[in-house]
Amino acid sequence: MNNEIRGAVPGGQGEVMAHAVDACVHCGFCLPACPTYALLGDEMDSPRGRIVLMKEVLEGALPLADAAPHLDRCLGCQGCVTACPSGVPYGELITAFRGWSEPQRARSPLDRAKRSAILKILPAPKVFSVAARVGQYTKPLAPLLPAALRAPLDLLPETVPAMQPSPAVTPARGVQRGRVAFLVGCAQQALTPNFNAATLRVLARNGIEVVVPEGQGCCGAAALHTGARDEALTLVRRNLATFHPGDYDAILSNAAGCGAGLKEYPMVLRGEHDEARASAFAAKVMDISEYLHRLLQAGELEPPLPASRPITVAYHDACHLAHAQGVRAAPRALLRFIPGVTVQEVPEGDLCCGSAGTYNLEQPELASQLGARKAKNILSTAPDLIASGNIGCHTQIQSHVRRAGSRAPVMHTVEVLDRAYRGEL
Amino acid sequence: MGSGKRQASGPPPHSPLATDLLRRLPSHQVLTTLAERRNYRYDAIQFGETPLAVVLPETTADVVAAVQAARAAGVPVVGRGAASGLSGGAAPLEPGLVISFTRMTGLRIDPARREARAQAGVVTLAVSEAARPHGLIYPPDPASFRTSTIGGNLAENAGGPMCFKYGVTGDYVRALQVVDAAGEVHELTRDAYDLAGLFIGSEGTLGLMTEATLRLVPPPRVTRTLMAHFPEVGACAEAVSQAIAAGAVPSKLEFMDRACTNAVEDYLSLGLPRGAEAVLLVDTDGDDLPTVEEERALVEAACVAAGGTVRRAGTDAEAAALWQARRSVSPALGRIRPQRMNEDIAVPRSALPEVVREIRALGDASAFTVVQFGHIGDGNLHPNILFDPRHDDPHAVHDLAHRIALVALRHGGVLSGEHGIGTMKRDFMRDAVDPVTLGALWSVKGALDPAGLLNPGKVLPEEVKG
Ligand SMILES: Cc1cc2nc3c(=O)[nH]c(=O)nc-3n(C[C@H](O)[C@H](O)[C@H](O)COP(=O)(O)OP(=O)(O)OC[C@H]3O[C@@H](n4cnc5c(N)ncnc54)[C@H](O)[C@@H]3O)c2cc1C
Ligand code: SF4
Ligand code: SF4
Repeated sequence: MNNEIRGAVPGGQGEVMAHAVDACVHCGFCLPACPTYALLGDEMDSPRGRIVLMKEVLEGALPLADAAPHLDRCLGCQGCVTACPSGVPYGELITAFRGWSEPQRARSPLDRAKRSAILKILPAPKVFSVAARVGQYTKPLAPLLPAALRAPLDLLPETVPAMQPSPAVTPARGVQRGRVAFLVGCAQQALTPNFNAATLRVLARNGIEVVVPEGQGCCGAAALHTGARDEALTLVRRNLATFHPGDYDAILSNAAGCGAGLKEYPMVLRGEHDEARASAFAAKVMDISEYLHRLLQAGELEPPLPASRPITVAYHDACHLAHAQGVRAAPRALLRFIPGVTVQEVPEGDLCCGSAGTYNLEQPELASQLGARKAKNILSTAPDLIASGNIGCHTQIQSHVRRAGSRAPVMHTVEVLDRAYRGEL
Repeated sequence: MGSGKRQASGPPPHSPLATDLLRRLPSHQVLTTLAERRNYRYDAIQFGETPLAVVLPETTADVVAAVQAARAAGVPVVGRGAASGLSGGAAPLEPGLVISFTRMTGLRIDPARREARAQAGVVTLAVSEAARPHGLIYPPDPASFRTSTIGGNLAENAGGPMCFKYGVTGDYVRALQVVDAAGEVHELTRDAYDLAGLFIGSEGTLGLMTEATLRLVPPPRVTRTLMAHFPEVGACAEAVSQAIAAGAVPSKLEFMDRACTNAVEDYLSLGLPRGAEAVLLVDTDGDDLPTVEEERALVEAACVAAGGTVRRAGTDAEAAALWQARRSVSPALGRIRPQRMNEDIAVPRSALPEVVREIRALGDASAFTVVQFGHIGDGNLHPNILFDPRHDDPHAVHDLAHRIALVALRHGGVLSGEHGIGTMKRDFMRDAVDPVTLGALWSVKGALDPAGLLNPGKVLPEEVKG
């Protein structure tokens, strides 16, 4: 698509945006992949439409305030990226655009306070844990609260577990095969500490030493995707200073959103002095399922014990795993590796569950429609167990399948594997 | 606020047209803000004028109300489906009303009658998906079938890989509901004067399709897929001519040249032969396995005789991947150059080898990358001129497109196999259709749309009017 963005926004981020817009041939192949288009059926809430809106704002043909409601409805799920044959890097476009436009947004003081609170609480596990507890006690008051405050409460699990800090080094069991660095993540430490515990156990059992580098922090994805570019840059630089890619076989994340965030570092720093460093770092980043899958392919993954009875697992593709990182086969292969497990494909599997970072908080209505649709699709496969690789999807899916009346457990892929190793599946 | 620059904000939300529409229709169906309207000015090939208002109807009555409002305001009406059109058809040339059918998605399957009743905005693939549990399918399958709508398919008389054996959209229409320029609703069948046939392929210039009764068929019991690749483009076309002459009736016969194969390979990494000058994809199908395999053998023999190398798809998944490859060709070309002029010629099959070679030569002699693919079994070719609007001269592009069109006409072909004339090929109509016939077309247009409000500027070249 013809554009004049390079002139309007000079520099690395302008180049990122101009390139993405250039590449779009407005063919519309992305329309059926877009959850908001599926719900709203209009062009402004489609990927192609949003690309045009961003182009027009950047070129000065459209006021930002006019375009903003439609851009805000984008989940950042990147379903459109998978669907686009022309290779339009939509994810980079929307991220860069949000960073560029956020400082110019007119937001109410309440809105600003809410956004900055979310961005402060999410990356701080201890604070989050406290907030989640407070939230739990507030839950009974939920019906009295405005929708924007009610949404986060709806998502909290029935119980908020105790924090389980990860040890600085988890030694390999048996012969050591590898050494990895692990990003422990933020909210999930507070909400689902077992994700990390299971990850460490499974890696150790397979001869992998796991280091949790001291001083690491939030990956920055939440800040970046809500347009808080300065905060994001601080977080990115902190992690770049903490993780030394040369020291490890891989840098692992078990949260799809964080993994995708880490892989985005070179784009964030395009044209800046740390770009090369970011590229070296990102080249080492892998999702836990990718890493374990490599072991599996090399014949080095220890076989799990068979499930106690045949188990049907509905595997949910987290957008930030499937669309943003292109990881689809690995988690399925790991699950199938467990004797007795059958993996079920979920209808409309490519459509986002509606969780998408802070989307639940900002667009509760659409998020909830998508959550209900996802739950219905998942439950149509009559699963014994539901697995996915992302904390956001986990809470969203759990709350919606419960609402739909199902008690099927919802687990991280690595938890399923961990249980199988322990003979508890 | 805003990005600093003062922006043109267009007519205020409550232009007289918008006010009238809001009086006749629920507000969630009427789009009036600039951000909303700016997004209804393009299709998959071109950007046009920003409409004054956009209506997203849910029923035929909503369409009638919208047409009446446009008539009262004296502004043009452009119908729009998924805007996947490749001839500029859904891009308005003047400010007016756009009626976008994407929310008219009502669909009912009648298995006993082997029929589907679909509203205009139903996505093409959805018809087959809904019919499949009843043991039926809807064969017309444009490469855009996941996106494009039944209304758009009807307006363009869309074809697809299956059309060689099974026919195009128009062949599956039993009845059509149309809203005319006066806002009257017509229920048309294929009897007596085949008015339904007149509206099919009229690109929104004669009326707006609101619903259609579509014929469904049982899917063939077996399908066999093969891929062949050739060291030369013309050889591929020769193989096709020979296979058909030998009596094979494949259900799909598609070709793509080297640049296409490589663009798709960059996207999907399927292991397509990057070095081949042309790749042919073929399905033979039917209910009787020996016949299906015999037909495949005929095609294989023709390919080998023409110097090709043949590979059979071993599994359904492999076959599906090959077909996804073919469907992705067109947009995957965006990886090579940001813009393209998409030709859509159809020529007699006997002329294919010559035509493909001539077009190839025209491309090689020009400053542009010209690529070719298409439903070669029908003689339907899509030569695409890839260009970069930042550096390339649009006149040179247009001139080359014209010369390619003339190659088709010289060999007894036509300007459009399936994408329509739109604005892209309107000027070439004078080369393709004699003045008397063009006059007749104008008379039909004048009879059905006397004020010229339906999709003006499309299909018919201006000068010959009257
Ligand atoms: C990648 C790609 C591949 C394609 N492959 C094929 C192919 O294999 N075969 C093929 O035939 N086409 C193909 N096309 C072209 C296009 O998809 C078809 O022409 C399709 O039928 C257009 O449908 P649409 O819903 O997108 O219509 P639009 O593009 O929105 O509109 C097309 C025309 O129909 C009119 N129109 C739309 N809806 C109505 C209505 N309800 N009533 C009256 N007029 C209406 C519009 O005014 C316009 O003139 C392809 C396009 C792309 C981008
Ligand atoms: S599929 Fe890609 S090229 Fe086509 S409209 Fe969507 S983003 Fe643009
Ligand atoms: S990222 Fe998801 S919601 Fe946003 S435009 Fe793409 S498909 Fe739609």
